[in-house]
Amino acid sequence: LVAGCGASSSTSSSHPAATTTGAGTAATGPGDQATVLAAASLTRVFPQIDPHAKYTFGGSGALETDIEQGAPADVFAAASPKQPAQLYAKGLVTKPVEFATNTLVLIVPNGNPAHISSVNDITKPGVKLVICNATVPCGDYARTAFKNLGITSAAMKNVVSQTTDVTQTVADVALGQADAGFVYVTDAKAAGGRVTVVHLPAQAKPGTKDFIAVVKSGAHQAAARAFVASVLSAAGQAKLSADGFGRP
Amino acid sequence: MIRVRWWWPAVGRALLPIGVAAVIAVVLAFLLLPIVALVTYQPLHDLINGIGTKVATDAMLVSLKTNAIAFAITIALGTPFAFVLARSRFRGRSVVITIVELPLVMPPAVAGLGLLVAFGRLGLLGHTLRVLGIDLAFTQAAVVLAILFVASPFYLRGAIAAFEALDPTLIDVASTLGAGPVRRMVRIAVPLAAGGLGAAAALAFARGVGEFGATILFAGSFQGTTQTLPLAVYSLFDANLDQAIAIGVLLIIVSAAILLSAKLLVGSWISSRTSPSRAARSIFAPS
Repeated sequence: LVAGCGASSSTSSSHPAATTTGAGTAATGPGDQATVLAAASLTRVFPQIDPHAKYTFGGSGALETDIEQGAPADVFAAASPKQPAQLYAKGLVTKPVEFATNTLVLIVPNGNPAHISSVNDITKPGVKLVICNATVPCGDYARTAFKNLGITSAAMKNVVSQTTDVTQTVADVALGQADAGFVYVTDAKAAGGRVTVVHLPAQAKPGTKDFIAVVKSGAHQAAARAFVASVLSAAGQAKLSADGFGRP
Repeated sequence: MIRVRWWWPAVGRALLPIGVAAVIAVVLAFLLLPIVALVTYQPLHDLINGIGTKVATDAMLVSLKTNAIAFAITIALGTPFAFVLARSRFRGRSVVITIVELPLVMPPAVAGLGLLVAFGRLGLLGHTLRVLGIDLAFTQAAVVLAILFVASPFYLRGAIAAFEALDPTLIDVASTLGAGPVRRMVRIAVPLAAGGLGAAAALAFARGVGEFGATILFAGSFQGTTQTLPLAVYSLFDANLDQAIAIGVLLIIVSAAILLSAKLLVGSWISSRTSPSRAARSIFAPS
């Protein structure tokens, strides 16, 4: 059901045959690989869904700029609806489809040097907090969480560094340089035993949704649609679930 | 057997200048094109506005401050280090030289990681620093350390070479006339090697201003504290390409100014120096 729904909405009307290509598995051969520009939070799961595609992982904002500047790309997968929607409005990608949800969490290094037990503790003086840039979804979501909690000015006062993608935020906390950082639960999971997760209260949680779209100028349109279909397929969704993502 | 026609050498002679000119044109075009593209990307008015924005001026101040400190430390410690190393021969000297040169070929990202696991909170010296009450994480001091690690070897290597090129007898003569090691260095060696030292210092400073990889890994990026000009370019790349490019142009202007002033300094030093014997005479001059 998910695959059919997603594939039909992501397929341009001029290529009706594409809905049948690669549903479930990656039907692309090595000669026709899709170039996939994807959010850093998808670094682990996407190669599991399709090991043949060519990947560039980074901040969704930087990838959006890449596509605007004409970088060769066939698929764009972002950690937010915002960047794909902006490219869609400019006619550069097909209508974006939601393919997963994620959860914003607070992480602290093991040992928790700043003694942070709840999200409100990040406003304590001297806490070194790292978040993503406002132009990257993880940074946007963190700011939304601050707003939802009414701690924007106090929290922003403790921000010591802003990163350009979520993996850098994870690294800063995992290395113990930062006392706390806002990342996705999937990244926290990947950082293994080096960080401890502090969950946000329900009212603070921003809706974190991942969207995917086919880049219209891409040279491998069929492979691109097949990739999108495989992400939306039952097998793809199972891989996403295993990595900690939620269903759209 | 191939019969070489008599006019071939003449054709070769005629074509050679054209070929040389073509090669020069291609190389220059390749090196200049990105700079031209950056400068002409937006109307001059927008470019100037971009350079004047708060994020740009903040980054400029951070860059100037951290580089000035790193530069002062490099010159103050690097000059005696290079002088001693250039004049001494001992077992393991080549190992020392290799250690000095290693950061030159080390990818900056590796340098940043190295600094993290050495001076980071959980690094080798992390506990010691904590006991001393020092926390380098995301501070300007961390930016200075990153610049020092990446840029100072450019000065050290150049200074060692400049001191090695000196005629050792001049310094030995100064020694026999009773000049101590500090005076030998400050009064004799440094003035004699000034050209090489100046060039090496300029190279180190320019490298420090452009430093990016080690800084972002080790010091993070925050406007007004750790965000240097290159970090601002990177941070703004996705948010505001026009502004990122404006800061990029500013960085090119700063780098070109450093290079140019270094060339002028070295040039004026060479022209003011009549002959090595003048420097040699200064040894005998009363002071």
